[in-house]
Amino acid sequence: MMKDTAEKMKLVTHFIAGYPSLEASFDTAKGLIDGGAYALEMQMPFSDPSADGPVIESACRKALEAGFRVGEGFKLIERIKAYADVPLYVMSYSALVFNMVVQGFADRALAAGAAGLIIPDLTPGTDEGLYEAGRRAGIDVVPVVVPGVSDERLSEIMAEKPDWVYLALRSGITGSYTELDAENLGFLDRLKKYDAKIMAGFGICTPEQIETLKPHCDAAIAGSFIVNRLSEASTEKGGSGIMHAAKDAVEYLLGE
Amino acid sequence: MDKYNNFFGDFGGRYVPEVLRAPLIELENAYKDAVEDPDFLAELAEFQHTFIGRPTPLLHAVNASTELGGADIYIKLEGLANTGAHKINNAAGQALLAKRMGKKRIIAETGAGQHGVATASACAKLGLECVIYMGTEDIRRQRPNVYWMELFGAEVRGVESGSRTLKDAVNEAFRDWTASYRDTHYLLGSALGPSPFPDMVREFQSVIGNEVSEQFAASEAEQIDAMVACVGGGSNAIGFFSPYIEAGAPRLIGVEAGGRGEGRGNNAVRMDDTGRPGIVQGYKSCFLLDEDGQVLPTHSISAGLDYPGIGPQLAELGRSGRLEFQSATDDEALEALKFFARTEGIIFAMESAHAGAAAIGLAKELGKGRNIVVNMSGRGDKDIFISAAALDGANWKDFLQEEAGRIR
Repeated sequence: MMKDTAEKMKLVTHFIAGYPSLEASFDTAKGLIDGGAYALEMQMPFSDPSADGPVIESACRKALEAGFRVGEGFKLIERIKAYADVPLYVMSYSALVFNMVVQGFADRALAAGAAGLIIPDLTPGTDEGLYEAGRRAGIDVVPVVVPGVSDERLSEIMAEKPDWVYLALRSGITGSYTELDAENLGFLDRLKKYDAKIMAGFGICTPEQIETLKPHCDAAIAGSFIVNRLSEASTEKGGSGIMHAAKDAVEYLLGE
Repeated sequence: MDKYNNFFGDFGGRYVPEVLRAPLIELENAYKDAVEDPDFLAELAEFQHTFIGRPTPLLHAVNASTELGGADIYIKLEGLANTGAHKINNAAGQALLAKRMGKKRIIAETGAGQHGVATASACAKLGLECVIYMGTEDIRRQRPNVYWMELFGAEVRGVESGSRTLKDAVNEAFRDWTASYRDTHYLLGSALGPSPFPDMVREFQSVIGNEVSEQFAASEAEQIDAMVACVGGGSNAIGFFSPYIEAGAPRLIGVEAGGRGEGRGNNAVRMDDTGRPGIVQGYKSCFLLDEDGQVLPTHSISAGLDYPGIGPQLAELGRSGRLEFQSATDDEALEALKFFARTEGIIFAMESAHAGAAAIGLAKELGKGRNIVVNMSGRGDKDIFISAAALDGANWKDFLQEEAGRIR
């Protein structure tokens, strides 16, 4: 059944390629799409994800222990895009991008059907040519900003003219609950003067948070919350439970 | 050499999430300001003299040199610094800097535990709150150091992620810092990580090389022909080599952990053809990576050398040829430990024993009339559970069992 998503907040849902297995991560993506996700953020597991909290760190480690390869990640994108035409953003760390040569990574991601790249440790000015590579390939590079970034720095970042900007709602790592307060909501409003659309995340785990965010940005991002739901499902129900768990998680967050 | 370089050739830089950009700029500015401020430098010199016990001796290893029948070996006894290793030089410098910056809390990673002990000690002395991240595998290998850190009032947090060693402790410290930087200084222990750490750690460790210069000039020997240091991340090496880098001489030799021998996961040798350029933990350098760019596991008998990356300046000096790299295996390090204990009455830390092993070979190669200075970056007391088990396993096991029975 088609969902009426017109008035709903757009939800960007994070998942990890190869977790808990390659096939199960495909099921996860399908579940997220069926649940009504606006877009997917697919994390390519890296051995040392230092911006991530324990939930995502542990899931990435399990994916790598199960033998995940970057090439399989790109093929997974192709399968997901064949299933449904939702925007898919590839999130990873500089190590994997630099390893393929930055332009090579951008080109491969675009060829697979990705809409954009989120590489938190390649920031404007020290990006190893990522933003230029993205423009050349025709793929959006999404900068990650945090509340407290100075106006001067914000202008530098926005000079890259990204379609989307990712706001981490607090400093620290992914996973723990984020209080939405005057500081981070105020910062979201400061971002509005730029052309870029805003997706906001870090510690989003309730429909109430998403409702609160709605007037302040274009999309909310949920990550560790979904990974947690999946890890519960994969131990309880086995493979087939994953797709339902993913779908249920999205529907819960969208208030259905 | 400039006190702040950021990049060393292609290597170095600052590849961090946006959230850490401002704290690192704040640190860079505080560092640049402090190292030009005579008051700060005087405070540091006083601390080095009265607390660390500097200058540390430069020992002419006459017995060892005579027995080897080759070049004369001199040993810089950094192990005599308070807390037992060179790590205190950097810990003291950064702790004083943190205090100057108004930070109340210090976090640090540790591998062998020497940097953790040094940091905890400096924090106790300077009245700073201290949290040390340490991989649970390293806690197992270096338990005695955990007790010392706790005795100094530090909280030791075991790290269960990844390989549960030094690199994972670094990740965990960065995770803490991204949420705590407002009142917390991350006291990184090696000459690596995002800038300004590689420059700052080198400057605080350069006291080793500067003392060697003065001490050697005052000796009867003519000139240094070669300098040898072990290289994990490389903080003892870069500090020891520092005054000589821009001159063409002497030969500078870095010794990596050869572990059990060749093959993935058996060693921590990065500077032969197995290491590749990469960006990991905030800096660009040479790393042990697989085809996808994932960080590979490493092995060394010494926790302090058991790390997949190398400081960016050392990587660049290796690339340019100014620095030569060798490796010593676990067994060669143990042999060197025994040799210098027997001939000179000193106990090398397992890390430093890798440099000792290379110096033994080099003394024979260079021959009489030449001079080698080797940096004993730490002393080996902390390794007793490893060295005794490796060198005298049966008796050591009996002793431990008896001792365990005695504890109520």
